[in-house]
Amino acid sequence: MNIFLRELRANLKSLIIWSVIMGLLIVIAAGKFAAYEGNPELLAILDSMPSAMLDAFSLRAFNLTTLSGFFGVMFVYFGLLGAIAAAMWGSDIISKEERDKTAEFSLVLPVTRSRLVTAKALAALVNCIAFVLITWGLSLVAAQQYNPDQAFYEFLALEMQAMLTIELIFLAIGLLLGCALKQYKRSSAIAISIILATYFMSILSGMQEDLDFLKYFTPFKYFDAGKLFRTGKMDGTFLLISAVIIVVSLAGAYWSYNRRDLYI
Amino acid sequence: MNKNIFRHEFRIKFKSVVYWSLGVMAVIFIYMPFFPTFADQIDLFNEALANFPPELRTAFGLDNADLSTVAGYFGGFVFLFTQIILSIQAANYGFGLVSIDESELTADFLLTKPVSRTQILTSKLLAAFAGLTLTNLVVWISSLAAISLFRGDHVVEWRAVFLLLGSIVIFQLFFLSVGLVVSLLVRRIRSVTPYAMGLGFGAYVLNAFSGMLGDVKLELITPFKHFDPAYIIEHGAYDMPLIVLNIGVTLVSLVASYWLYVRRDIAAVA
Repeated sequence: MNIFLRELRANLKSLIIWSVIMGLLIVIAAGKFAAYEGNPELLAILDSMPSAMLDAFSLRAFNLTTLSGFFGVMFVYFGLLGAIAAAMWGSDIISKEERDKTAEFSLVLPVTRSRLVTAKALAALVNCIAFVLITWGLSLVAAQQYNPDQAFYEFLALEMQAMLTIELIFLAIGLLLGCALKQYKRSSAIAISIILATYFMSILSGMQEDLDFLKYFTPFKYFDAGKLFRTGKMDGTFLLISAVIIVVSLAGAYWSYNRRDLYI
Repeated sequence: MNKNIFRHEFRIKFKSVVYWSLGVMAVIFIYMPFFPTFADQIDLFNEALANFPPELRTAFGLDNADLSTVAGYFGGFVFLFTQIILSIQAANYGFGLVSIDESELTADFLLTKPVSRTQILTSKLLAAFAGLTLTNLVVWISSLAAISLFRGDHVVEWRAVFLLLGSIVIFQLFFLSVGLVVSLLVRRIRSVTPYAMGLGFGAYVLNAFSGMLGDVKLELITPFKHFDPAYIIEHGAYDMPLIVLNIGVTLVSLVASYWLYVRRDIAAVA
């Protein structure tokens, strides 16, 4: 419990910074929406855009002149920011002990390594949930001026669940990197590479049909906002893949941290 | 400048420079080959687009980035992704430039040497800049090679391409110096990467909606807007006021960094 509280406090600043970035994004986007609201001519242009371009930027299937459509487009960026933040929190919360030379201190405490990881993972999890709730809250505030309907609230709720799932995937991967890598410097470097590679892959997979299979490798494509909007639920297959990634990463994290020679 | 510090700094950065360079190279060579298929599709789109009133087209930013041209595709896709990578790399070096000495407890060693802090900072900055320039060079070569290889039978607007590539230096320096000044403004940077990711991706995401209709205000703070490829390609020139703003921020950050670093209370090994 003490470790948990300590980590929460230590991560508060980071949470605030990410929330500010998210807030700025929502303010900018909400301002842009003013020009789209109820402007049907824009729709005609969007409809005629080539599918490759629409897919690349996930613009397909959205009516940008409605609030739900606009927030559908924003989902990519919600997911991206959430993923980066979560991966950073996950890898940092473990590897910082070695970087700051506090590993000796925390590991002589009368707690097992597993409990240490659990406390830290829970603290990072709380951070992730808080980040989603903040995004949710800010979106609701920004949407108020455009009189959102019930469907929008439901869609936003669904988007936030999907965002949380993406965060959880990257949090688990981050934790695994922090736990498994012998050199603490590597964990954040590899975390960056994974985020960049999967993000670029998500754009690539939309650009051409024969690259569609890439969508299984990039969590950014697991929950397509357009599909969320049409079906009203998250895709079962991808939920399952997400669950597998999360469970395997976490199991690997505990397994490797318990038998690892720590860098001191 | 101190030669030893420069050499040491450059040497420890070298491996990272190689990785980042390989990363941008990969991105350029993965995205550029799709140009021919993409261009065919877009041609149809452009025909359809011609039927729309011009005001609407400008509002959408569709006039400026014609993705069916080599420069348009390169700028709109490939170069934008290159910018993301370069921003994170430069921010990474900026945040870590002097903060690493404190977090790895090597500041005592370095600062007891008979060199002034100004000299230390200058040597470190130059070493980081040399590393960034190396990556910059790789971007130039890979871009030119990829464009020549995958242009198909399209005409290349070289002027626009060179303008885009030429903007990289200023772009890198912005992130390097802003990262540096932020690292000196806060009491302690424990981990460099989260800050660098926040600055780089934050700036990118804030620019995400700027191509859309609507008023442009807040996104003026992000370098991705200052060096908007679409603008550069459309006008065949940089957006001068924004570039001046960008360089201004860089210079202020650099001056402030020297001022702060010389006066900084650096924690010694307890």
